[in-house]
Amino acid sequence: MAKVYLFRVRRPAADWEKSGKFRIFGNNVLLPTHFLTNIQHMTGGSPFEQYPLRPGFWDEMISDGSVRPEYRHTFDTLRQLSAEDLHQKDKLAAELFMSQGITFTVYSEDKGIERIFPFDILPRIIRGSEWDLIETGIRQRLQALNLFLSDIYGEQQILKDGVIPAELIASCPQYTRQVHGIRPAHDIHVHIAGIDLIRDADGKYYVLEDNLRTPSGVSYMLENREVTKRLFPDLLSANRVRMVGNYPLLLHQNLLSLATRQIAHPVVVLMTPGVFNSAYYEHTFLARSMGIPLVEGRDLVVDNHKVYMKTTQGLRQVDVIYRRIDDEFLDPLVFKPDSILGVPGLMSAYRKGNVVLVNAVGNGVADDKAVYAYVPDMIRYYLNEEPIISNVPTYQLSDPDAFRHVFDNIGSMVVKKTDQSGGYGMLMGNKTTEEEVIAYRKQVEADPRNFIAQPIIKLSTVPCFLDGRWQPRHVDLRPFALCGPDGIRIVPGGLTRVALREGSLVVNSSQGGGSKDTWIVED
Amino acid sequence: MLSRIADSLYWLDRYMERTDNILLILRTEYVLSLDEGTERSNSWQPVLEHFTTANRAQLDALSMNTPEALAFVVADTGNQNSLRALLTRARENARGAQDQITKEVWEQVNHIYHSIHADGFEDGLKDRDAVRLLDGMTEMTTLYRGVASGTMPRSIGWSFMNIGKHTERCMTTLDLTDRYLRAMDYDLEDQKDILYWRQLLLSLSGYELHLKSYRNGQHTRNVVDQVFFNRHFTRSLRYTLDKIGHYLKDVTDANPTQESEVLNRFFGRMHSRVRYADLDLIGEVTPEAFIRQMRDDLLRFTNLLAQAFFSYA
Repeated sequence: MAKVYLFRVRRPAADWEKSGKFRIFGNNVLLPTHFLTNIQHMTGGSPFEQYPLRPGFWDEMISDGSVRPEYRHTFDTLRQLSAEDLHQKDKLAAELFMSQGITFTVYSEDKGIERIFPFDILPRIIRGSEWDLIETGIRQRLQALNLFLSDIYGEQQILKDGVIPAELIASCPQYTRQVHGIRPAHDIHVHIAGIDLIRDADGKYYVLEDNLRTPSGVSYMLENREVTKRLFPDLLSANRVRMVGNYPLLLHQNLLSLATRQIAHPVVVLMTPGVFNSAYYEHTFLARSMGIPLVEGRDLVVDNHKVYMKTTQGLRQVDVIYRRIDDEFLDPLVFKPDSILGVPGLMSAYRKGNVVLVNAVGNGVADDKAVYAYVPDMIRYYLNEEPIISNVPTYQLSDPDAFRHVFDNIGSMVVKKTDQSGGYGMLMGNKTTEEEVIAYRKQVEADPRNFIAQPIIKLSTVPCFLDGRWQPRHVDLRPFALCGPDGIRIVPGGLTRVALREGSLVVNSSQGGGSKDTWIVED
Repeated sequence: MLSRIADSLYWLDRYMERTDNILLILRTEYVLSLDEGTERSNSWQPVLEHFTTANRAQLDALSMNTPEALAFVVADTGNQNSLRALLTRARENARGAQDQITKEVWEQVNHIYHSIHADGFEDGLKDRDAVRLLDGMTEMTTLYRGVASGTMPRSIGWSFMNIGKHTERCMTTLDLTDRYLRAMDYDLEDQKDILYWRQLLLSLSGYELHLKSYRNGQHTRNVVDQVFFNRHFTRSLRYTLDKIGHYLKDVTDANPTQESEVLNRFFGRMHSRVRYADLDLIGEVTPEAFIRQMRDDLLRFTNLLAQAFFSYA
C-alpha cells in the first residue's frame, strides 16, 4: 500500500509542484502525486476530491492513503453524490431539526431567534470490536467511581489509606457535606453518566472527562440517528448499525427499579428548570419517550418528608425524580436560599429515603478535574484491576514541580479550571499570546488547587461537509451509560461532538461545536 | 395531570381559538372593505379597539390605513394581542406542556410559530394580496385543529383544551354581537338590512346557516336568535356553553372536590340562563343587561376554574 507523506508548505508551493513529484492539495498541503492519483481514482470527481488530511492527526476515515474498512461502504455511496445532492441533504437535516423544535433560543434586541445545533450529515463510524473495548472500559470506570462516591460520603477509606490526598477532597468545592452519611437506594450514586472520550494521534482512546452530574446530549444522539434514517436510509441497513433507540426504555426501567415504595406503579418524574433552559428540548424529549410527567420545582411540594406533585386531582406522591437541575438549586433550605427552581424540603425527603434523586446529590466531587487524575488509582484500589481506558496525563498545578513543567512547556499544554466545563475558563497554550499566559499564570498562582494542566491532545479528525466540500474537523465521543440495580448498560453509540471551526480542538456546543450521528458497525 | 400542564393546555387552545377568530374577522372586514356602498364605514377602528391594545394615537393613525392596520393586528409585537404575540404565547404554552401533547400537535404549533416569524412574513400584508396571507394563516390554524383532534388522546388534557377553546369562542361571539347591537342601541325591533348583519355572520362563519334557517324578514331578531340560542350553530352561546358543560363534566367527575362542586353549580346557573331563555326574555331584561350578565358570568367561571384546577404557583 502506498505510504502517504504530508507536508506543510514552507518554500513556495510552486517550486514543489514544478518537481512533478508533489501537488498542492487542499489547505496548503502537498501530497505526493502518486497518492493524488489514488485519491482521485477513489473519489471520481466528487467533493471528496478536496479532502485535505491534517498531518499528525488520526483521521477516522482515511489511513495510509486508503479508506478504513468501516467507512468503505459509506464512502463508496457518498462519492456518488454531487455537492448539490449533499447540500440538499444538509438542508433537509436542518429543516427536520427546526420543525421538531430541536432548537435553542438566542435572545437579541427583544426578539427570540431560534437556532439549531449544527449537525453534520456524515456519520462517525466505529468498529464493533473497538466499541466493545470502550464499553468494558467505561463499565470498569463507573464501577470504581460509584464505589468512590459511596466511600467518600461514608467511611472515607480511600483517604485513610492515602490513595487520594485528603486535602484534595477537603478543598474540592463540589464535595457536598450535606449528603455525608446518606446512602442512596441500592448504593448507586451515578445512575446516568456521559464519559467524554477522545482519540489521540496513536489511535488509542483516552478519557478526557467524566460527567456524573446531569450529562446532556442524549436526545441529540437519538435524534441524530432519526435524521440520518431520513438522509441515508439504505446506508444504515447496509452497514448493520447497532441500535440506540432503546435508550429511553432502558432509562425508564432503571428509574422504576429504583423506587423504594413497594407499590405496583411508582411515580417517576423528570424535573426541569423550565422552558428557558438550553437543554429544555431534551427534557421534553426524554419525558415523552418514557411517558413520565415533566415537572418544574413549582409543581412539587414536600409534606412530612415526602414529595408530592400538584395535580388536578390533588397531591400525588413522587417516588423517583430524574432531576436535570444542579445540586445547588435543588433545595433552597439547604443550598442556595434564593433559588426558585427547587423545592423547599426536598433534601429532607431525600435524606429519609422517601424519594430517590437521579443522579445522587454530591457527584461533583467525582468528576472534579483535579480528582479526575486519581480515577486510575481508584480503579486499582477498589477493583484491583488496571484501567482499560487511560486518562489523559494530568498535572496538578498545586504541585510546584508540575507547575514549573507546565509553564515551561506552555505551548503544548492546555490549562483548565477544575470547576468549569463547557470549554470555559481554559487556556490553550498553542493559541495564546505571551501577555495572556502571564495573566493566566497569575490567576493560577493565586489559587493553584483550582487548576490542572494537560498536554494538548491531538483529537482525531472526521470528514465534515462544509462550504460544499469535505473538510477534516476534530471530534470527541460521549457515550451514555445507565447504571441500575441490574448492572451497567451502555447503548452502542453516543454523541460525537465536532469542533466546526477550522483547526479548533474545542468541541463544546457553546464554543462553535456541532454534532454527528455515531455508528457502531459490525467488523 | 399536573395543574400547571392543565393550565397550559387550557391557554394553548384559548390563544389558538382567539387567533382563529381574529383571522376570520380580519378576512371578512378586509373583503367587505373592498365593496363600495356597504354599511361598513371602511374604518378599522372597531377592529382595532376591540382586538388590539392600540392607544388613541395609534387608533387615529391606523383607522383609515388598511395595510398598516392589518400589519398592526397581525404582526406588530408592540400590540399584545397581535396574532404574532398570540401564537408565540400559544407556543410557549405548548412548549411547557410538551410531554402531554402529541408530537404532531407540537410540530404543528411549532411550524406556525416559525412561519409567522419568517423573514418577510409581513410583506404579504402590504400589497393587495392580504387575503392570501390571511388564508394561509387560517389554513395553518385549521390544520392545528385537525391534528389535535386526530391525534390527542381523549383524556383530561383534551377536556381542558376544549374548555379553553369554547370559552374563548363564547366570549368572542358575545363581544362581537355586542358591538353590532350597541351601534343600534340594543333595539331588537330595529329591522336592519341583512347586509348589516351579513358582516357579523360572516365573521362568525354563520352566514350560510342563517340563509338556510331563517326565512322571515325580521333580520335583527333572527340574527340574535342564531348567535345566542341556535344549538346547531358552532359559535352560538348555546352551542359553546353546551360544549363547555360536556367537557367540564369529564373534568369534575374525575376530580370530585369541594371546589369542583362549586364550579359545577355556578356553571349550571350560567348555562341555564342561555338554555332556558328566548328572545322575549331578552327583550324584557334588555339585550344590554343580558350581555353584561353573561360576560360577568364567564369571567367568574374562568376564575373559579383556575381556582379549582390551576393553582400550583
